[in-house]
Amino acid sequence: MKLSYIAARKKSAFTQELQLLLSFFTITLLMLFLTYAFLLFKNYTFVHDKNAKLMEKSDVIASIDKMKVQIEFIEKQKALSEKVYTKNTVLKDSIGNLFDLVPMRITLSRAELLHNGLILYGITPNKDVYNFMLEAPLRSIFHRTYSSFYPTQNGWLRFVSTNYIDNEELLDEE
Amino acid sequence: MLDNFFESLYNKVLVNIVVKRASTDIYIEIRSKSALVDSCQESFDSITLEESMVDFIKSYTKESPFFYITVLDMSDVQGAAPTCAKNRLEFYYDVHASEHKCYDNKWTYYTSKTDLYAIEKAYKKVGVDYIYSPFAMLANFFKDKVETTMAMYILIQDSFISLSVFDSGELLYAEHLDMQTSGESDDEMLSQEITPASEDDLNIQESIDLEDVDVVDDMEDLDDFGDIEDLDSLEEIDEFSEHQDIEEEFYEADEPVIENDDSSFNEDYQRYSLIHTALGHYYNDEKYESQFIENVYIADGVGVSGDLKRYLEEEMFLNVYIRHLNLPMELSELVKMELNL
Repeated sequence: MKLSYIAARKKSAFTQELQLLLSFFTITLLMLFLTYAFLLFKNYTFVHDKNAKLMEKSDVIASIDKMKVQIEFIEKQKALSEKVYTKNTVLKDSIGNLFDLVPMRITLSRAELLHNGLILYGITPNKDVYNFMLEAPLRSIFHRTYSSFYPTQNGWLRFVSTNYIDNEELLDEE
Repeated sequence: MLDNFFESLYNKVLVNIVVKRASTDIYIEIRSKSALVDSCQESFDSITLEESMVDFIKSYTKESPFFYITVLDMSDVQGAAPTCAKNRLEFYYDVHASEHKCYDNKWTYYTSKTDLYAIEKAYKKVGVDYIYSPFAMLANFFKDKVETTMAMYILIQDSFISLSVFDSGELLYAEHLDMQTSGESDDEMLSQEITPASEDDLNIQESIDLEDVDVVDDMEDLDDFGDIEDLDSLEEIDEFSEHQDIEEEFYEADEPVIENDDSSFNEDYQRYSLIHTALGHYYNDEKYESQFIENVYIADGVGVSGDLKRYLEEEMFLNVYIRHLNLPMELSELVKMELNL
């Protein structure tokens, strides 16, 4: 302010237009950086998730393998149980049939199931009742039947009937 | 630092506004660091800031943030005082109601604070950066003469006359004259001044006893008068004119031929009257150190006719030198000085 009554207004190169332009570029750059940062973050999380998923996948594959082994084992157990069940059912039916075979006049005191045979202990009024009513059906079932008798004090006979099925037939059944 | 760098990249736009009686001149100069890039001048038929002016100014100022809008002070209560001492300023004007600036620690120019606010308010749409006094412009325009020559310096505007007397850079007297407001009163004053004087003359004439006059003795005196008439010949006038500076002759040669129509005649007479009255104040007012004035340097901002020069030379016996100036351009010079361009 040398000769003027008033001082000049402060001049600045940063005009409104320039400020607007700089703001625009700043916002654009900021948005680019934010987008870049967002993408970096997303990439990081993606890689992290990918690694986690890969580990999870490997774990799942391992567990699947383990489960397959377990399934195989269970299937085997199931097959075995079915076999046992079938056997038991057969055995049950056989025992049922066996007891159905025993006539009313003969009393069984003990029965022993063997792998390939059956041993029956009981009391019969006489040999004929035994031979006709029990031994005959046993012979139709088993290959070999052996009977032995010994008398009791009341005149009845205690008997021991030993019955065997031959191994070849058992193997065929199995 | 950064601002200075940016400032060097931009051009500077200098908008200079001079308000005339019924129009406004706007001169725009676009400058790079020191070179003129572009300039133009436009005149608008309005003394207030109209939309067309705003558009014109903004069409240039939008090119650079470094634009400076300058207005020549058109206050009618401005002036200058021959001192910079604050305790002495109040002898010349109301310091509380005025804004002042000291020029070279030698003299002070001032203006009304209210008028400064009025200017700032009037140009609020474009803003104002500098407001210059016509006296500062006058001192700057005649810088080569003011520093060395004792003379009266006059800046003639459309409706104002800024008159100052400088002796070797020291201001002796200054007055700002408004042609519109003071025209009628000056005429009255002039008539008042002339009437009593003529009456006194008449009284003096009445007091002379013609019978006491010795006709024969006076004839020798009359011969002496004849010699004086011989002296007042054309040759002497030519010699007198040779004393003028070659530079001033150049300015005078450039003087445009102005038609002496009635309006310019009246205005020049009015200007002459105002100058005559102001000179009377200068000689009579004890506040000012009065010295005899021989030379008048006129900065002609309107294109005065030869009548004014003739009046001043013939009626007041002054040597008159006229330099023409373009007011808005001269205003631009002040801004360039301010901005060190």
